[in-house]
This record gives sequence, C-alpha cells and structure tokens, in this order.
Amino acid sequence: MMEAVTIKNKKNKFSEAPVFTEKKEYRPEGVNETGLTFIGHEISEDKTTMNQFLHYDQLYTIRHGWNSKFFIGLLDGKIMGTHCPRCGDSWVPVRTHCWNLDCNLQKTEWVEMPLTAKVHTWTVAGWSGRSSLKRLPIILVYAIIGNSKVAIANELHGLKPWDVEFDMPLKIVFKPKEQRIGAVTDFHFEPADNWKPSPMNKEKDRIKKLVEPVYEWVKTLK
Amino acid sequence: MISMSRKVCIIGGATTPFDYGPTGFESIEGGAAECIKETQQDIPEFSLRDLDLMVYSHFSVHFSHQLSSEWIIHDHLGLVGLPHYRVENGGNTGGSALYAAALAVMSGHHDVVGIVGWETMDTVSQSQGSEFIAMASDIRYELMVGGIYPIYYAAMANKWMKENKVTEEDVAMIAVKNKNNAMDNPKAQWYRNDHKYITVDDVMNSRLMSYPIKKYDCCLMTRGVAFLIVCSEKYAKKINPDHYVTIDGMGLSSCTIRAGDRLNNPGWKERYGPGYPEMTEFAACRNSAERAYKMAGIKDPVKDIDFGEIHDAFSTSEAQIYKALGLADQNTIAQFIRDERTSVNGDIPMNPGGGLLGYGHPVGATGLMSTIECYYQLAGMIPQKHLSRKTEVPNPECGIVNSHAGTGTSISNFILRRH
Ligand SMILES: [Zn+2]
Repeated sequence: MMEAVTIKNKKNKFSEAPVFTEKKEYRPEGVNETGLTFIGHEISEDKTTMNQFLHYDQLYTIRHGWNSKFFIGLLDGKIMGTHCPRCGDSWVPVRTHCWNLDCNLQKTEWVEMPLTAKVHTWTVAGWSGRSSLKRLPIILVYAIIGNSKVAIANELHGLKPWDVEFDMPLKIVFKPKEQRIGAVTDFHFEPADNWKPSPMNKEKDRIKKLVEPVYEWVKTLK
Repeated sequence: MISMSRKVCIIGGATTPFDYGPTGFESIEGGAAECIKETQQDIPEFSLRDLDLMVYSHFSVHFSHQLSSEWIIHDHLGLVGLPHYRVENGGNTGGSALYAAALAVMSGHHDVVGIVGWETMDTVSQSQGSEFIAMASDIRYELMVGGIYPIYYAAMANKWMKENKVTEEDVAMIAVKNKNNAMDNPKAQWYRNDHKYITVDDVMNSRLMSYPIKKYDCCLMTRGVAFLIVCSEKYAKKINPDHYVTIDGMGLSSCTIRAGDRLNNPGWKERYGPGYPEMTEFAACRNSAERAYKMAGIKDPVKDIDFGEIHDAFSTSEAQIYKALGLADQNTIAQFIRDERTSVNGDIPMNPGGGLLGYGHPVGATGLMSTIECYYQLAGMIPQKHLSRKTEVPNPECGIVNSHAGTGTSISNFILRRH
C-alpha cells in the first residue's frame, strides 16, 4: 500500500528570481494596449471586395538578462563592453560568450569602454521607419568604440550631413540623465573636439543636393 | 559531403501578379490555388494527389496578422493529411524553402514536394512596413537608432562603392535594367503599377533613401504568392519530360545579424584570411556560391553560367553580388557594370524577369519567383510567360538563382541546368 508523503521545508521557488526595486514608467500619452480591435472597414462599389481594419497593440517586456549591464550602463552614462579572458577580443555591442570557436563559448567579462570612437562607414538617411521620420535627415554611422573588434550603429550629430567622412574621430555624447531610458538612443556620436570638416567637394555638393528636399519634406510632417 | 545522392528537379511553377495596395487580390489561399492552376496549364499531368510534402515559405507574422497562416493555405488546397511545415529565413526564406525541399527529395524520403511562398506587405503603411522588416535586425542595438534596411545597406554600399570605384551612375544602370526588364513581364509590380521605362537620370533624380541609395535603387514592397514543384528525376521524366531542369548545385551560408559584427569575425578569418568580408562584401554569398559551384562543377562562373535571377533588393546589392559570385573582382567590377554585360543582350544577363527591383519583393515568395523565372528561361517558356522575346535569354543551358537575407545574414545560391 502506498503511503502518503508529506514534503517538508517546501520551497516557494526552485530558481532564483531578481527583486526589482527600481521601476520607471515613461509611457507617452495615447499608447494603450487595446489588444485586437476592429476599428472599421471598406467595401468596393460593386460589393465584391472588402477590407477590414484591425488594430493591434501589444506591450512587450524585453528581458535583457545577461546583457542587462550594457543597458544599465547607458542610464549611468557609460558604454559597457565585454572582453574574453582567453583570446582578449572585446566587443560593443556585447557578447556574453566569446565568438572564437577555439575559446569554446568562454564567458566574457564586463569592461567599461572609453567614450571615444572612429567612423568605420556612414550614410545619410532621407527616409526611415515610422518612429524616426521626424528626425530626418539622419547621419547613421557604424563606428568602432575603443578597442572593440566590431562596429556599432548610431546617429552622428553636430555637423552638416555632407561633412561626415570615413575614419573621422568621434566622441560619445549622452542625453541628460533624466532623459535616459536605458536604450541605445540614450547616446549618439559627435565629431571629436579637434575635428574640422574638409572643404566642399563634388561628393559633398551631391549629398547636399539630395538632402535639401528632405529638410523641406520633414517640415510638412504633422 | 557535397555530392548529389539523388537528382533533384524542378518541373514547373507560377506566381500571382505581384501588386501593392488596392489592386485585385484573391486572398493568400486563393492566390496559392491560382498559382497551382496555372502550373497545371503548363503541365496538365500534374495532380495535387502526387504531392507527398508541402513546404511553406513565409517571412513575417507582422504582415500576415495571423500566426501559422500556412495552415489556412494548406487546408484550402485540400491537402489535409499531407506533411507540411514552414520555413522562415528572412529575405532568404524562399531560397531556404527551396533548399529544404531539395534536401527532402535528395534524401529519398520524398518524391514530389510543393512549395508555396507568400507575403502581404500592404497590410500596413510603407514606413511601418520598413520598420517591421527592420525588426529582423537586432532591435536592441539597431532599430531604434533610425535604422531600417535601406540605411544599413547604404552604409555598407557607400564604403564598397568607394573601395571598388563604382559610382552612383553605375549602380543606377542596374536599377534601369531591372525595372525596364520588368516592363516586359505582365506579372511584375513595376509593369502593373508604375508602368514606365526609366533612365539613369530618373534614378539619380529620385528621392534620397539613404546615400548613395535613392528611391529607384530600391526594390518594391509587394503582395504576392508563388508556387513551385521540386521532385525526383523519375517523376520529372514522367510528368514533364521535355521541360524540366535539374538543381545541379546548391549552397547556403550565413553571416552576422549586425553588419558591424563581421569586422574581424573569426569565422571568416579562418575561411578567407584577415580583412574579409570587412563591412562591404557579402561573404555568405561568396561562401554559398563556392559550395554550389563545387557541387555543379562550375569552374569559371562567367563562362559556365548563362544568366541569373539574383536578389537585387537594391541596385547596389546587385553590384555587390556580382563580385561575391566571382563574376568580377575589385579591379574589373566597375567596367563589368559599364559594359552592360548583365543586360539581356550581354554575355551573362541578370534579372531578365525584372528582379526584386521590377518584379517585386513579397519576401516569402521572392526566392521562389527568382527560381520560377530561371526555370521559365531554361524550359524555353519565356515567349508564353513574358510579353515578348525581348527578355528571353538566347538558348540558355545553365542559370543561377540567388536569395539573400538580412544585411547578407543568410544567402543561398542554386545552379539550375536544362534537360
Ligand atoms: Zn575568446
């Protein structure tokens, strides 16, 4: 006959959970989770075709997990990178395990990176995703921060779009502390203090011509 | 590894007209049914009962506002009981679905595999659509800094063009070629919607997307469905003995999700040495082409391949692909483009069907569209599928199909030969 077993010292949890003590909300007005809502439809004159308008709004929790230090670092005005203790490679964007197969997924260590960088490549955007349209034109650069083995994408401010150039030295500038949200938009690049743009040339004239209508178009956006 | 244990054939396929917005649309399942019916007009012997596996090729649930929408199509086609699964691999979804179907036949486990691919990108606004596609970048690092794919591609192309002495006008010629080719293709979105022949000046004067890429250097956002049959040679000989092609080589390769991470990447360093692919070359294209060439016995791609249907998401990327496929090198690439060697009258025409720039880019259907156009050329079906013989490659024996994802994050290449 089976005997009833009582589990003593019953644990509530079988894995560790972080205790969240700092919580901030900066929800813009009008951002609501409505779930799935039909908000209208249209029917063709000949009554053969129907379109229906479905609105879908969803709140996601991005669980940064082991990458969290990078995003917490942004709140503190720091660029945190990682470093492999075996092969010595460093990265921003970070890797929590080394990319070198010989290091066999070696766990990496956190390092604070300098707030200086160098342009690896660049472009001047005259069109973008819906959430970025009003900021156009945007100079987007891939830049190498400190001794990182990889380049990170971000916006370059503080110069005319046609003045950006390869290999130009940059500094990393953070938004004021109270405006930071722990996302890569908390910082941008600006030219290093000693940098001066080179004189106008044929390519710069071309970029200027392409960019001018973008400034006009952005003014028409609501 | 690379040996063909069993020949894999393509015997037919078709797409719906590619469109965007209000023009007529059947529904995804209706579109799939119409593609199959058109295929049956070409090969009346083919019956849905012959299929023993269905592979579905679809990129984004964000566009389809429906999870597992392949189940709607599969059920609608009356195929309950038949095994099915969906393949998703960004812009290379179609190429990857073809790869999966070919493996299934090659293994001997399946004989006749249908592939249906689709995307309905006009369910949201163009700018929202760009943002959805950009969610296939690493959103933690790239999306919120104003990044969408034309911007990432522009940053890579800007450096590539300078290093290879390729100009804005050079790549504009590629945009002109493909959009004008599409004017001979009644299913192409450019033919159906924009419907005009363009010049290099038109490209140069079109609005800035992201320097050096302008609007006419970009592919189209599209709604479309495609169907393709992949099968054993035994079945091909029975159903379509005069018009089948064989997949003689195929390769699939991968690269980093963030383009900035391919600098100094140890995976490439050990394959190709230091300094490659930089942030400029499509290493996964080179790598997958090498695999496909080896399997198909291609020694000199320019001589051995007659034409191709390749992933021209941007005019700049078509130029970069020429180089990655080994058609030209750093010293010859600019002249290769200027000599118009990839026009229909050139020695290696590329995208006579219009490509993504002209035919359209409904992501899950795109690689299949390229394969179908390549098949039509090899099977001698262009006169019945295009409006004229202007876009028919003369007497082709061997074609290449290229499908491409992310910032070059997944790329497949296929060598197709006529039989
Ligand atoms: Zn290491």
